[in-house]
Amino acid sequence: MIDSMKHLKKDGFEAISAEQSPAEFEALFMGHWAQVYRLLRRLVGDPAEAEDLALETFLRLYRSWPHKYPNGLNIGGWLYRVATNMGLQSIRSWKRRERYELTAGRYALEETAQESPAEILAQAEERQRVRLALASMNERQSQLLILRNSGLAYKEIAQALDLSPASIGPLLVRAEREFEKQYRALAQEE
Amino acid sequence: MQKHLTDGELRAALDGELETGRLQHLEVCPDCQRREQQLKVESMKVSSRLAFLSSGEEPVSSAQAAWNRFFQKTQDKEISMVKRWFTIPVVRFATAATVILALILAFPSTRALAGELLNLFRVQQVTVVPVDFTGLEQLTGDGALGNQFTALISDSIDMRQEPGEPVAAASAEEASQLAGFNVRIPAGTTPSQINVTGGAAFSMTLDRTKAQALLDEAGRSDLVLPASVDGAEISVDIPASVSVAFGTCPKPGSGGSGNHEQSTTQRRYPDCVILAQIPSPSVNAPANLDIEALARIGLEFTGMSPEEAAELTSTVNWTSTLLVPIPRNAAIHEQVSVDGVTGTLIQRSSEETPQFALLWVKDGIIYAISGLGTNSQQAIDMANSLP
Repeated sequence: MIDSMKHLKKDGFEAISAEQSPAEFEALFMGHWAQVYRLLRRLVGDPAEAEDLALETFLRLYRSWPHKYPNGLNIGGWLYRVATNMGLQSIRSWKRRERYELTAGRYALEETAQESPAEILAQAEERQRVRLALASMNERQSQLLILRNSGLAYKEIAQALDLSPASIGPLLVRAEREFEKQYRALAQEE
Repeated sequence: MQKHLTDGELRAALDGELETGRLQHLEVCPDCQRREQQLKVESMKVSSRLAFLSSGEEPVSSAQAAWNRFFQKTQDKEISMVKRWFTIPVVRFATAATVILALILAFPSTRALAGELLNLFRVQQVTVVPVDFTGLEQLTGDGALGNQFTALISDSIDMRQEPGEPVAAASAEEASQLAGFNVRIPAGTTPSQINVTGGAAFSMTLDRTKAQALLDEAGRSDLVLPASVDGAEISVDIPASVSVAFGTCPKPGSGGSGNHEQSTTQRRYPDCVILAQIPSPSVNAPANLDIEALARIGLEFTGMSPEEAAELTSTVNWTSTLLVPIPRNAAIHEQVSVDGVTGTLIQRSSEETPQFALLWVKDGIIYAISGLGTNSQQAIDMANSLP
């Protein structure tokens, strides 16, 4: 399990109660901010974009707080699901690919541990291709791959995506094959 | 002999997520082990490409700083809207509410039914609906959507009677004469101003294609206006209204609804309380209009879930209920007994700018008392002292 998930309860995500107050929303925000931001930071690459998307994710929860959600809502899972959706939408919305490449290149300098400019460029292109491949897939499959590769266990993924834990293995196989197909198609285009 | 493992089970085994019983089979089955190795190669290739999603501990802006930004975002949206709704004179309020209502209603069927108009809407009661104003803000803002919305309204509306500028009246009697209904002033009080604003009337003919395009543009293509509502006329009549001010209040028409002017207004007029009165506006629309379906669309647009919208629309009498939207999470409301009927008290409890508004309907007249501060009892006492 990744570090940012360590504060969550051992038996899964925290539950939300219909009686929770705005003050409790602040506590929830403080408790989940880092993990939501980091997920988006890795997914979209751009720190400012990640912060905006993370704020928007919490805003969506807040707008209907608390009555819209039933007791026992899996709040961490909800935030993960919405955050990945928003990250994928953001990547899709960058229709002008040049802009995406430029941004990806700029932030690759921060993301990479490599020092050679050629390696930095290669890694930036690789990550760009991965992001575009994820954004071009079926949403559920993309979410599955992102959450699994962010370090979530099957049970946590199942809670976040409202699936049964037993279905995660088969769905992962299909998602990985689809990802590879999309990735190769993008590589051939270049 | 157990069945061979599926690819999904083998994938779970690679992640250490396979149940013990099936693992035992894997340990003794060379065929499954061979397939597991093949799957491992495939899976590792994908995992290595996605490895950056789990790497490192990127610097994160402090949660407190992020919360401050978040809080500011919510306040910007909610305060601007609540100020708008709480402080506009009731005639503007009624006009705005009627326009919103008319928009909800005004997707009529065909011109052939124009002859079958009925007096569809006359306010007998008020129902408060907590909504998310984001959708409405998109339509009323300065962005592309706001401009589209403005263009749609101006193209659709035929103004038959302009309200004109407010006219000062020296007494309740004079105001009654000017407005054409019995204006009431609380016993034992001396108003600082009485102003009468003339009635207004307009017709609307909605273009379904343009209205749907607006919804689509606002990201709500899930809300589909029925094709049959295109083209019929809705007519709205708003009677003359009276605004009775107590304390030091701004002159009517001097602005005050803008955000920038708002804070100044609140500092300059802290004791201002306004009692507004207006006979119910009326809305005429084709008899076969499916108001409930259209209202559901309007409510969903303002942030309600389909279930909530369906529940509300099924319980509201659309021919007699004025829906008053208030910002979700920024204001509270409760039912109170005033003036011999049941009214609705809305309060915004903010340390900086607490406000209150009391709304009720009696004998076909809509009343609203609004003021700054937390002394909402003042509004209730005032309502109960009306002759």
